[in-house]
Amino acid sequence: MNEPGYSPWKKLQEHWLSRRNLIRGAAGTALGAGLLRPKLAYADDEDGDSERAACVGPNPIPGGVMGLAPFGIFIHHNPLNPAKAMADINDPSQITDFDGFVGLTHIRGGGMGTDAATGAMTRLAFQADMGFSQGKFIGTDGQQHRGTFAFV
Amino acid sequence: MYTGPVGSASVFQQIHDYNVHVDRDDVFWMIPVRHDAVVVDFDGSRARLRVRDLSAFDDHDLANSLTQGLGLPANPAAMPPTPAIPGMFPVHAKVSFDVEWNGVLAMADIENKAQMFKGSFLSTEATISWSAEQAGFRFESDMPPDRKANLISVLGRERNGVFFS
Repeated sequence: MNEPGYSPWKKLQEHWLSRRNLIRGAAGTALGAGLLRPKLAYADDEDGDSERAACVGPNPIPGGVMGLAPFGIFIHHNPLNPAKAMADINDPSQITDFDGFVGLTHIRGGGMGTDAATGAMTRLAFQADMGFSQGKFIGTDGQQHRGTFAFV
Repeated sequence: MYTGPVGSASVFQQIHDYNVHVDRDDVFWMIPVRHDAVVVDFDGSRARLRVRDLSAFDDHDLANSLTQGLGLPANPAAMPPTPAIPGMFPVHAKVSFDVEWNGVLAMADIENKAQMFKGSFLSTEATISWSAEQAGFRFESDMPPDRKANLISVLGRERNGVFFS
């Protein structure tokens, strides 16, 4: 029997949250941190103690958008919108408590994909939403750091 | 990456989605890189981001990226109805990219109290050259990059959060 008001996307959200917790738990134990997340590195804190800062990341902006409408997966990112005037853009940074330079792109182009086994080549389209942040930020440890981040 | 014509970007035609995943603190698709990977000349309205062989993931498509491998159910209420996207586990990949922002199209000084950010922002021309490599597959974008492929790109000098005030 179908439960009234129990939509597929509600089910997806619940499943996603439990899967996300499971993945995070697994990543911290049996699978190790390297499977689902590249290693943090290259962030220097203000006094140059890069060894300590290597494990310190930034915090996300509080805002963002619901991706994959109508399924509603919240992401701390404001995608660029070509239809919006420059004066009306949302914060293009992904990290908060930040003072520095940001870059963001929204580019659609083409290229060639190659099957490494057969050598067969295929014309493919791409969309590149990429960018960077470079400057000082308050890290998750509450301390000020300098860092350079790629948005990939 | 999509099987449709250049300029298209339908998740239902997507076959590769390279990103570095959301981190444990919910920061979206950001990864620390070497300081010299980014060169900014803001007063000259230019910047460049260059990274080689960055360890990333191929989540196959945006739906699997955002749902962490769950895919999406079909949506019969959409117009037109959309099919389900099956769940996929991420695959390790290496990506290299060279992104250039250059040439002002518009500019604005913004102070947004609701979002707590302010700064000077430029809409610029931009190009990207990039490649990806993983088990069984590699990709190279067109060279030289097409300047007309840029839909919108932004370069900014900003402060947000505790640096807003």
